[in-house]
Amino acid sequence: MFDQKGEIRIIEAFLAIAVMFVVVLIPITWPSSPDLTQSKDLADIGTQALITLDVNGTLGNLIAQKNWTSIKQSLDILLPLGVSFNLTIYDENLRTVNDQTIQNSNLLGSEVVSVQYACASQNLDVKTYILRMQMAEIG
Amino acid sequence: MASLLLASQMYIFEVGKITTETELNSLENFVLAVKLGSKHVVIGSLANASNGGQISSFSLNLQKWSSLISSQFQFGKSSLYHALCETAPYSSGFWMYQGANGYGVSSAYANFTYRLSDWEVTIDQNYFVNITTAVIIESTFQTIRANEKQINITINVLNEMGPALAKQIKVYYESSGGWLIPDETNNYTILDYGTGSYLVSFVADIPSSSVAVSAQVIDQREIYAQANVTSTQI
Repeated sequence: MFDQKGEIRIIEAFLAIAVMFVVVLIPITWPSSPDLTQSKDLADIGTQALITLDVNGTLGNLIAQKNWTSIKQSLDILLPLGVSFNLTIYDENLRTVNDQTIQNSNLLGSEVVSVQYACASQNLDVKTYILRMQMAEIG
Repeated sequence: MASLLLASQMYIFEVGKITTETELNSLENFVLAVKLGSKHVVIGSLANASNGGQISSFSLNLQKWSSLISSQFQFGKSSLYHALCETAPYSSGFWMYQGANGYGVSSAYANFTYRLSDWEVTIDQNYFVNITTAVIIESTFQTIRANEKQINITINVLNEMGPALAKQIKVYYESSGGWLIPDETNNYTILDYGTGSYLVSFVADIPSSSVAVSAQVIDQREIYAQANVTSTQI
């Protein structure tokens, strides 16, 4: 006679494998699209933070002084709690200017919104920069 | 067991998944950034020129800024054109005046056109940037005895015709054909009202009956301006 218990175990194992495959395949086949309204709000918040820092020339001057800590601290204050950011600064030849990372936490595993911002320093030796800020809402 | 495996699989997937990145820029904010940058370039160029730098650096700085903006293609083809003001009293975008009437000006003026071209539409945004640091001084003096004179100078610093704070003020007085800086031996005091107004007082030995004074000011934006005046006896 057949051992019915063993048969059920095999069926259960196959079902479990099938469920796992489905779970893995679903996100690959239908990747979740980012919420554009939420992303746009985050992009606006980020750009406004950069504009606030740039209005009186502080942003360009801090970059010219290579004061990455102050830029990070300013963005920490200007951006709402729960927003992670990573700022990269490029010169006019698109070479990276910041030799230290300007970020408050890791963005890995997040849906990232990025904004690009052009700015100039207002000190005696005028320099121009392109800033790229990546942001994500954490939690 | 299947549930445990499933949960682990989902966790590994969630942590290790490729980050999606969406680039979102607003045209309104971009134009605002272009205008802000233009203003900073004008301020920096004026600071440089008023401190004895090359006049030609103004045009070079604006070209650098225009070139950076023109390399941006977020909304279409961006172009930034500039023209230095040549209308009197400006020349090559600058007006520097250090009169003997108590008024000194360092000013820069440039006109800009930001053009955004697409397949279907071209938008022009015209704007200008005028940065002016002005110094107004008034002075009185009193003869204490013989050649010794008590001199008071009121200095007002203005940015775009509004009160502004100075970063540095240097005062000079003329004595026997030379310009001297008053120091503690002259009982030099400076009173900062915190409103862009400063009162400088000192005692100096000046043989001449007329007293010429000069104030050299550097504002918070590093722009230099100078004003000279003949002190009035009271």
